[in-house]
Amino acid sequence: MATTTKSGTDLDLIAHLLRRAGFGATRDELEEYASLGYDGALDRLFNMGDPEALPVDLIRRHQAEQSDNRIAPASGSHWMYRMATTKTPFEEKIALFWHRVFATGQTKLIQGKVMLSQIEMFRKYGLGSFRDLLIQLSRDPAMIVWLDNQDNHKDNINENYGREILELFAMGVGNYSEQDIKECSRAFTGWTIANMPYMSIRMRNNTLRPYGYVAWQYQYDPDDHDDGEKTFLGETGNFNGEDVIEIICKNPATANFVARHLYHYFQADEFPVPQWPFEEPKDPAAIQLMVDAYFANDYSIGAMLRALFESDIFKSEETRYARIKSPVELVVGTLRLAGGFDWPTQEIYKATAACNYMGQALLAPVSVEGWMGGGDWISTGSMVQRINFASGTVGDKNKKGIKAIVDGISERHPTGDVNAEDLVDDCLEFLGALQVGDDTREGLVVYAREQGEIDPRTDDGANKIVSMLQLIVSAREYQLV
Amino acid sequence: MTTKTGTSLELEYRDTNGFGAAQGGRGYYLPVDLAVRSDGRIYVLSRGDAVQGGNGIKITDIEHNWYDVISGRGRSPGEFISATAIVFDANDRIFMADEELNRITIFDADHSYVTHWGTQGSGDGEFDGPSGLAFDRDGNLLVVDDKNHRIQRYTPEGGYISSIGSHGSGDGEFNFPWGVTVAPDGNIYVADWRNDRIQRFTHDGEFIDAHGTTGLGENQFHRPSNTAVDTDGNIFVADWANQRVQVFDKSWNFQTSIRGAGELSVWAAEYIDANADEKEARSSFDPYPELDVEDPHEVSARTEPYFWDPVSLALFDDTRLLVLETGRHRFQVWEKV
Repeated sequence: MATTTKSGTDLDLIAHLLRRAGFGATRDELEEYASLGYDGALDRLFNMGDPEALPVDLIRRHQAEQSDNRIAPASGSHWMYRMATTKTPFEEKIALFWHRVFATGQTKLIQGKVMLSQIEMFRKYGLGSFRDLLIQLSRDPAMIVWLDNQDNHKDNINENYGREILELFAMGVGNYSEQDIKECSRAFTGWTIANMPYMSIRMRNNTLRPYGYVAWQYQYDPDDHDDGEKTFLGETGNFNGEDVIEIICKNPATANFVARHLYHYFQADEFPVPQWPFEEPKDPAAIQLMVDAYFANDYSIGAMLRALFESDIFKSEETRYARIKSPVELVVGTLRLAGGFDWPTQEIYKATAACNYMGQALLAPVSVEGWMGGGDWISTGSMVQRINFASGTVGDKNKKGIKAIVDGISERHPTGDVNAEDLVDDCLEFLGALQVGDDTREGLVVYAREQGEIDPRTDDGANKIVSMLQLIVSAREYQLV
Repeated sequence: MTTKTGTSLELEYRDTNGFGAAQGGRGYYLPVDLAVRSDGRIYVLSRGDAVQGGNGIKITDIEHNWYDVISGRGRSPGEFISATAIVFDANDRIFMADEELNRITIFDADHSYVTHWGTQGSGDGEFDGPSGLAFDRDGNLLVVDDKNHRIQRYTPEGGYISSIGSHGSGDGEFNFPWGVTVAPDGNIYVADWRNDRIQRFTHDGEFIDAHGTTGLGENQFHRPSNTAVDTDGNIFVADWANQRVQVFDKSWNFQTSIRGAGELSVWAAEYIDANADEKEARSSFDPYPELDVEDPHEVSARTEPYFWDPVSLALFDDTRLLVLETGRHRFQVWEKV
C-alpha cells in the first residue's frame, strides 16, 4: 500500500521519480517535492535552476588538483562533487546518461579539462533537440580526438567517427550501409581541433610539459572539407556534417534507438545494446510513446522523457526497483543521504575510487560502447564493494545526513522507546521511502528485536539506528532503483 | 572616484620562469605562492597534488638557476598537505601555512625545520584554513583565517595578539579572504576574495578603504587572490578568476591591466629541444587560436601565454613584478616602465 503525504501525494511514487530522475532523496527532499504534487515535482526537475551547492570557484581555490584541467582521478572527483551536492540532480543524471551513450575516455585523451567540458555540454544540450546535441557532439574536441576525426581528411578519410555516430550514437546496426559510413565520414572532414599536430603529439606522449595541458579548441578547416556530392541514407547533396545530422535525426531508426536507450536508463533494464538488432524492445508501447514525442517536438529529448515520466507505464508498481543501480547511482545516492560534502575535501577521492572498484570509472568507460549496465554491474567482487561502501558511509553517525536521520527518529519517539517494527519502518522512510520485500523486512525486524531496548536519545540508541541503516543499505533492495 | 591619470604606470613582459614538474624535479606543479628572500632568491610554494606529487618549496632566482627543494607532502613535522602561503621574517626564516593541517611551520634560514604551531577552531588564537601570511612592521605575523573570515595577528612563536574583521560584506568584513600584504608604509592589504574587492587597513587594523566591485571591467574584480605594493604605493592585484593583473596608483586610480604573455622559459626550452617530435610539432603551434568561448577561465585554459589562475604576486627589486600561475606551473616576470 502506498504511503501518502498530508497533501495526498503518493510519496512512494515521488520517491520512484527521484530515484530515476535523480539519485534518490532524503526525507526532507521527498516532502519538498511531494508538496508540489507529481506534476509539480516534474516541473521542478525539468526547470533546472542553480545547480551550485558547491561552487566551482571554491573547488578551484581549495582543491586545485581537483580542478578541471588535471589528471583522471581528480577530474572524475570534480564531477563527483557536482553530483553529490547539486541542487539539480536531473541535470547530472542526464549528463551521466549521455556519458554512457557517447562514451569518451580520458584514458586516451589524458587531460581532464576537455572531458569535463564535454560533460558540461551534455548538461547544456542533453534535454534539448537531438539535432543540436549531435552537432555539439561532433564539434566537441574530446569526441573529435577520441574517435580520430582530426585524422579525417578530404583526400584520406578516417571512418571512425562516421561509423560510430551511426552505429553507437544515433541509429544502431542494421539501419545504414557501409557506403553510408563513408559518405557520413566525408561530410565530417575538416571538423578538427586547433593546433592539431602539437596537441596530438602531447597526448601521445602523455605529457603536461612544458606548462600544463592546453585545452582543445574546435576548428573547422574548409580547405580540408570534402564539399563534393554525397549520397547518404538515400538523399543526395553536397552535404556537410550538419546536413548529415539532420538526415540522421529524421530517420525513424534514430528515434527508436534513442528511445530504447532512454528506456534502458530511466525505465527498466533492457537487453545489452549489442543485442538490440536481434531482440525486440521489452516494452514496445513505452518506446512508441517516446518516439511520438520525439517527432512531435523537434527531436526533443526532454519531451521524450516528460512523456515517459507522465505515463502510467513509468508510474506502475512493476517499474519500481526494476533496474540495478549503476555504481555511480549507488555511490552518489549514498553520499547525498549521508551528506558531508559542504566543502571541497580530499575525501572525495574515496568515492571516485569506489565507483572505479565497482566497475564504473567516471570519465573512463571500458570502451566506446560504454557500460552495458543491468546484470553486468553485479559480480562477487563488485557486490562486496557496493555493500562495503554503502554501509561504511551510512555507518558514520557524525555525518550531517545520518545525524539528521537519528534526530528525526528521535523526534518521532519523544518518550525514547522505539519498538522493532517502528525502527525498521522509520529507517526505511528516512532512507528515501525505500520499499523492501516481506522477507527482507522480517529479517530487519528480527535484527531490531535482538538489539533490545532502543532509545534514540542516547548514544546507544543512535548506534543501533546506525546499525539498522547499515543493514538496510546492505539489503538486496538498496541495490535496485 | 577613480580616473586614469596622464602618467600611467605600464608593465612590459620580460621573462618566464617555470616548468610543469608533476613528478618532482626542476619546476613546479600547482604552485600557490612565492616569496623573494633578502638575497634575491625566489622561493616558490609548489603545492602539488595527492596523486602525482610535485610538492615542496622550490628555490630559484631571477636568472633561472635552480637550487633546492624544502619540505614535501606529508603530515609529519616540516611537511604539508595543502600549503597555501610562505613568507620570510627579517632573519630569513620561512613561515609556511597549511590549510588542511591548520598549522604554521617554521624553517630556519638554512632550511631546517624549527617548529610548527596552530590549532583548528574559531576562537581567539585558532584558525580554520590559514590562507595568507605577512609580517607587519613590528615583526608580528598576520594570518588570513579563510573560513572564519578574518585576519589574526600572532607573535612569530604563535602567541595570539589580535583579530581584524568578521564575516560579511561591510567595511572591514570579509568573505573567504585569501592573500594579505603589508605595504612599505605599513598598511595592510587584504584580498577579500568572495567580496570581489581589496580592503586596506592601517597597521593597527583600522579600516581605510575598499576598492572594487564584481565584474570584468576596469576597477572590477572576480575573486582577487593577492596583492603587491611597491615603494611608491602602486598596487598590483592578482585578479584571479578574471585571469589578469590590474595595477592602480596609491589612490586607486587605474593604471593598466595585463593578461599574460608567457613564452618558453629556459627550462621549458631545454625540454622542447630534447624532444624532437614535440619540437617539430610545436613549430606550427599557434599560441593564440581563434576561440569560441569568452569566459576568462576557458580562454586561459586554451591559450598557453595567458595567465591561468594568477594566484600570487611578488616584487623583485621594486622594479619587476613576478606573477605566479597555479594552472601553468610558472611565474611571468613583468617590468615597470
